[in-house]
Amino acid sequence: MNQLLTAQGLGGVVFLAVSAAVVIGALIAVNSKRLIRAVTGLCLCLIGVAGLYYFLNSPFLALMEILIYVGAVGVSIAFAVMLAEPRQEEKGTRATGLGALFGFIGGALLTWGLIKAGLSTHWQRAAEKINDGSMLQLGKSLLTTYGMVFELISLVLLIAIIGSLALGKRGRSNGPGKISG
Amino acid sequence: MNIMLFAPELFLLLGALIVFLLSLSDDHNSARNVALAAGFGALILSASGVNLSGMMFGGAYSVDLFSQLFKTMITAGMTAVLIFGGRHQGIEKRVRPEYYLCLILSTLGLMMLVSSVDLVAIFVSLELSSFSLYLMLPMRSTEHGLRIQMEAGIKYMLFGVMATGIMLFGMSYIFGLTGSTSLTAITAKLPALIHEPAAVVGIVMILCVFMFKLAIFPFHFWVSDAYEGGANETTAFLATVPKLAGVAMLIRIVNLINPSEAIINFMAILAVCSMFYGNLCALRQTDFKRMMGFSAVAHAGFVLLGILTFKEAGYATSIYYILGYLVMNLACFMVICKVSKSGENVPIAGLAGLYKRSPLLAFTMGLSMFALAGIPPFAGFMGEFLLLAGAMQAGHLTVVILGALNAAIAIYYYLSVVKVTYCNEPEVDTEPIRVDIGTKAVSLVLISAIIFIGIYPAALLDMASTALRLAF
Repeated sequence: MNQLLTAQGLGGVVFLAVSAAVVIGALIAVNSKRLIRAVTGLCLCLIGVAGLYYFLNSPFLALMEILIYVGAVGVSIAFAVMLAEPRQEEKGTRATGLGALFGFIGGALLTWGLIKAGLSTHWQRAAEKINDGSMLQLGKSLLTTYGMVFELISLVLLIAIIGSLALGKRGRSNGPGKISG
Repeated sequence: MNIMLFAPELFLLLGALIVFLLSLSDDHNSARNVALAAGFGALILSASGVNLSGMMFGGAYSVDLFSQLFKTMITAGMTAVLIFGGRHQGIEKRVRPEYYLCLILSTLGLMMLVSSVDLVAIFVSLELSSFSLYLMLPMRSTEHGLRIQMEAGIKYMLFGVMATGIMLFGMSYIFGLTGSTSLTAITAKLPALIHEPAAVVGIVMILCVFMFKLAIFPFHFWVSDAYEGGANETTAFLATVPKLAGVAMLIRIVNLINPSEAIINFMAILAVCSMFYGNLCALRQTDFKRMMGFSAVAHAGFVLLGILTFKEAGYATSIYYILGYLVMNLACFMVICKVSKSGENVPIAGLAGLYKRSPLLAFTMGLSMFALAGIPPFAGFMGEFLLLAGAMQAGHLTVVILGALNAAIAIYYYLSVVKVTYCNEPEVDTEPIRVDIGTKAVSLVLISAIIFIGIYPAALLDMASTALRLAF
């Protein structure tokens, strides 16, 4: 009991709580029948992931995860669900019989393989990390090594917005509507 | 920084910007002309800058003969598709400007992909090209009550996103092991780490996404539906240009590692499965584009034969083969675009009597089918022959025998198209097909390319080898 009250013990408890949030959130996201509940589960999962980043000594990344994924992405999915008004119907039937069996075997093999590969590999120690993951480092590499990528992402976002407008408009309008932008 | 290194990409970007502004109006003809001009300009700029070399953007972007060769082929493919696509009647009229924008940006993404030497740059350029392609599929005209393009679009997107996810997972392993996203740094560190299981898993996972682009078994599920569901013009692009970048990136990634028995066997099995699956499924197709989809799976298996030798000569043959594949496929899709009156799909039987309706189109189709079937002296024969000979030298006898068997199976379905084109009488449509001057020019260029590539492989192979030596 005393061990739990040390800094390390408390850290362990928080780590377990964060990991539990990831797993439970992910389970809710894939298992819930209502779309909006799945979104909430996803948000819970992502908060847990942010916690893991914090444990990995990247507080900035943790904040960004909450700001961008939990905040922006979560809200925009919620908006999409509200706008599209999906009918509250049961999810499609689950795979049964052979399909489920093969799915389970495949999933189990994949998990086993990834865990084995992860465990039997000699990973770099944290002390040999290339940089400290601070905002200074991040800003520098965003403007040097990743400068082009940073600009290119704006093009990806542009095409995604234009595409959703051009395609989405068709589903809502009855007649041949005009597309702007 | 030499601006000329980046000139083709900049020119395409400029074109994209103008098309973006034009998309505010309904003026799709000028949007098409701008796209065509952008493609043509980028083609000239990449062809004239083929000998440039240099690094850009903090070492994330490498311009060399390897990338410039591929950029020339990519822009040539895009320009050809735009020319013979004509007014793009298969595309929904009101989204045509957006369609051209997607086409330009997809090409831009592919061009940047072949120059990227940084994992993050590879990922983002790949996304740019894939996103645009996902959007181009469902933009098909709904005039004939067609709904298959929706299924095609969503299938392609879901499989594509899945493949990208697998690639990112693999990249995280490689980054975790080497601590760098730059391919140069990874090349320096990876050989020492190749006995780590995670390194092999990571590399194979990264390869998955490019195998998906090439539709290698078991990443081929999207191909038949996407080919059939896309408009003829879209499929013509999808079937040709992204494959180039796929081969370029397979070579780049495979080059990071030393060959190990496990990886060679893995690739050999995938190659053989692709060939058998593609050829056997293609035998019983009635829709032309669907048949070409399965034929793409089979040809992707052949391309893999060159890569699994892990030698410069093998890579060069793969490049040579994919160039031949580009012109052969462009040629037959050009015919399909022209035969289809208002953008509907063309069944193989619909080609009956084409030689009476348009001798030039029938000849182009016949020639490209002969070439795809691997009949000498055309491009396809030389490519398949060199790939099989290379694999033989590397000691993969079983694979070579199975490959040769597949080349024999493939002859049947390619030649039955030729038979329909030349021997059957037209059933429904008998009026001649009008072929515009641009298409005629493209057709002549493609015909001479198919013959030239087949007869003079040495010059192209030398160029590809030099490019590989300079790049790696």
